[in-house]
Amino acid sequence: MEAEAPGVPQQPVVLARRRSAGEVALRVAPIGIPYLILIVLVAIYGSLQEGVFSREELNIQTAATLTLLLVAAGQTIVILLGGIDLSVGGILSFSTALAATRFGEGGSTMAVWIALLVLIGLGAGAVNGFLIAHLRLQPFIVTLATWSIWSGAAFWVLPTEGGIVPESYVGAVNNAWVGLSVSTWLVIVLIGLWVWFRRTRLGVSIRAVGSSETAAYLSGVPTARVTIAAYALSGLFAALAALFLITQTASGSPTVGNDFILNSVAAVVIGGTSLFGGRGGLGGTVAGAFILTLIASVIFVLSISSFYAPIVTGGLLILAVLANSITDLVARRRAYR
Amino acid sequence: MRSELLRRVLSNRPILLAYAGALGLFLTTSAFSTGFASENNVRLLLVQASFIGIVALGQGFVILAGGIDLSVPWTLNGAAILLTLFANGSNAPLAWAIPLVLALGALVGLANGLGISVLGVNPIVMTLGMNVILAGGLLVYTNGSPTAAAPSHVEYLATGRLGPVPVNTLVWAALAALATIVLTWTIFGRQLYALGTNRTVALFSGIAVGRVTVITYVICGITAAFAGILLTGYTGQAYLGMGDPFLFSSVAAVAIGGASILGGSGHYLGTVAGALILTVLAGLLPILNLNTAALQIIYGLVILGTVALATLPGRQAVTR
Repeated sequence: MEAEAPGVPQQPVVLARRRSAGEVALRVAPIGIPYLILIVLVAIYGSLQEGVFSREELNIQTAATLTLLLVAAGQTIVILLGGIDLSVGGILSFSTALAATRFGEGGSTMAVWIALLVLIGLGAGAVNGFLIAHLRLQPFIVTLATWSIWSGAAFWVLPTEGGIVPESYVGAVNNAWVGLSVSTWLVIVLIGLWVWFRRTRLGVSIRAVGSSETAAYLSGVPTARVTIAAYALSGLFAALAALFLITQTASGSPTVGNDFILNSVAAVVIGGTSLFGGRGGLGGTVAGAFILTLIASVIFVLSISSFYAPIVTGGLLILAVLANSITDLVARRRAYR
Repeated sequence: MRSELLRRVLSNRPILLAYAGALGLFLTTSAFSTGFASENNVRLLLVQASFIGIVALGQGFVILAGGIDLSVPWTLNGAAILLTLFANGSNAPLAWAIPLVLALGALVGLANGLGISVLGVNPIVMTLGMNVILAGGLLVYTNGSPTAAAPSHVEYLATGRLGPVPVNTLVWAALAALATIVLTWTIFGRQLYALGTNRTVALFSGIAVGRVTVITYVICGITAAFAGILLTGYTGQAYLGMGDPFLFSSVAAVAIGGASILGGSGHYLGTVAGALILTVLAGLLPILNLNTAALQIIYGLVILGTVALATLPGRQAVTR
């Protein structure tokens, strides 16, 4: 089977059998449930707060979600591969630290540093991928170690929260077109890119490796290269997330990325992507990321302490993992029957 | 009986290397800094190493059985905060407060273990989620600012001395002896190694895989809570974030001590050496004009390096 052949099976193929209602439910549930939760949350939020259903509110919520969504986009790719990337927190912190200390007055210095940050993200991710693919080390231990390394580097560059991001850079996101802000357009572009990417040779290969590395390898997928590319993309997205985050905070922080590690995994898993790899995609992750932001908004509107947000997030995450494990198990049982 | 322990330790080159490394590092640092080898500083190093060592005891059990516990930072922090709140500066409540806090630690471990082995939640997600839930819960409970000071008996436990030896070191030594006995001579110890080596084979050999897994996380919850109690005694109070460094350092100590991160090999005696190495390293940094940023980078490199070394000779088959 060629690597670019469309529709590489995500589960063992069951030929000549019509899909029963159960099978259709199994396919729809992972992506349907997060959007259902999202709709319910929007409804709750809308009933508590005036003017939720406006473009202004959409822009506000999108700006609040985009950093997480970018990190989670990278995390989606890695989890689809069957891995996990804990180092995104370190890369994100390090990138904001560099940006807040090196951008200077803006202009050409800043342009060079933006390019450098993107390259650092790609490189950091590629190193993770290399260690995992070629030394055959466990993804979580490699990225746990590089999380520590990049966090240390972030502290080195910027010991405490602060630094300055030039006004010209921060102001750039305030532009709008047809009433939609830059961040909203970025989400639309991101979804568009995904629609294209999932059909590319790399996109299909990533899901193939996630479904079964051995089968992918035997089918001629260059698994090592695919692994490196997937982690490199995750690093890249962490750096891009930092480039957006600094427009919101106008400063850097050596610890800011740590909040995004669990939340990015949570956005992916709540979005219905399986931690076993191969199943899911960015469509669900978008819902997952917005769900997490809306939970914080609803908690805020109800004027409950914001300390409750992580409790709700953590609980929802574990529930989602549980639901995924169960659908995975049911899907496998059905497939082998 | 003794030969069994000797055989295990002597046949485990990483453990011997870890002790050689700890000694070498200590001697090198002493050469650079005059006061480093002084009696007082050695005592201080032992006390500081004990915190990493005790957290790494539970972490080591979990890793040995093929899991990982990323919830140790806030289990430790929670124990410290709750103990100071319960005791409120006096010694009388300690009689029930210490057992209660240890039991709560065990409860956290039990929740982790049940989630992982019964419900089949991925260990990283389960324990990382637990860490965040605990952090949120404690922030809610303390409203962001814990206050009470550590009772004097707890301070004695962490900083007191019996003759020339710190009480804390005696406690650690007792725990190390207990861990050694459990790992070397008990059925549970053998089951741990079996489980970490090959889960399926262990299951087919009649080991209660789920129960053993749960017990490792319970042990990890208890040791993290106990380290939290000792650490409040050492610092004199509990504060938010005091557990954070222990996420990396506990895993690093286990890795340096020669335990395979895939489970199935290693011994607590190696982890003790790992804790000593990390502590001496932390003491070496100020002498070299390096700060905690460097320490984090070193933690990362050490985890990567030791894990890569341990995996290289007999490359694992496709295990991912």
